Amino acid sequence: MLHTVNKSPLSSDNLQCALRVAAADSPILLLEDGVYAARPGARSEALVVSALRSHPVYALGPDLQARGIDRVIQGIRVIDYDGFVELVEQHTLVPWQ
Amino acid sequence: MLMRKAPYGSVYPAEGFRAMMGVAVFELPLCVIFLDDGVYTLVKGQDPSALEMKPLGAGFPTLPDVGIKEFYVHDQSLAERGLTAADLVMQARVVSGTEIEKILAGCAAVLPF
Repeated sequence: MLHTVNKSPLSSDNLQCALRVAAADSPILLLEDGVYAARPGARSEALVVSALRSHPVYALGPDLQARGIDRVIQGIRVIDYDGFVELVEQHTLVPWQ
Repeated sequence: MLMRKAPYGSVYPAEGFRAMMGVAVFELPLCVIFLDDGVYTLVKGQDPSALEMKPLGAGFPTLPDVGIKEFYVHDQSLAERGLTAADLVMQARVVSGTEIEKILAGCAAVLPF
């Protein structure tokens, strides 16, 4: 299943909640304010690094660009809207919002 | 005015900016405090063109021209996001939580955005 998180990891525990449920290898997609989790150096970085050990983690490029995030934590795959559509086609969507 | 939300994901920061312009029209004294995810509103390099939105950070440096000159940013909110004052689009005084409460105590009203 594809778990999407659209809230900042420092003002919401949605990412943590998603990770408690997501099975190993289930993809996690950060979008909207969720992309703040992709920014290196934030307090939430350890959570994301640990998620990357068992999940593919994606971040939506246009949402990164909007927020001035030009670098992401190593291992996160940046995708565009076409990539988002591909993920949705391949998996059942579980939105955490 | 307390700015606590990240830009683009909700309408709060944009509405806060609109309210600041309104306060400026009436020439009322105003301090603007950025804390928690609100500090992201001032981060350099925002480009929401792909979302068909206007870059919010670009508006704040113009506020001193309309008479709003007191800007504060919470030190801990910056630090826990891996940010420093150099990452921001404008100069704002970096202050502690205790200092923020003192600033708020000197205000007639607190507007949360």
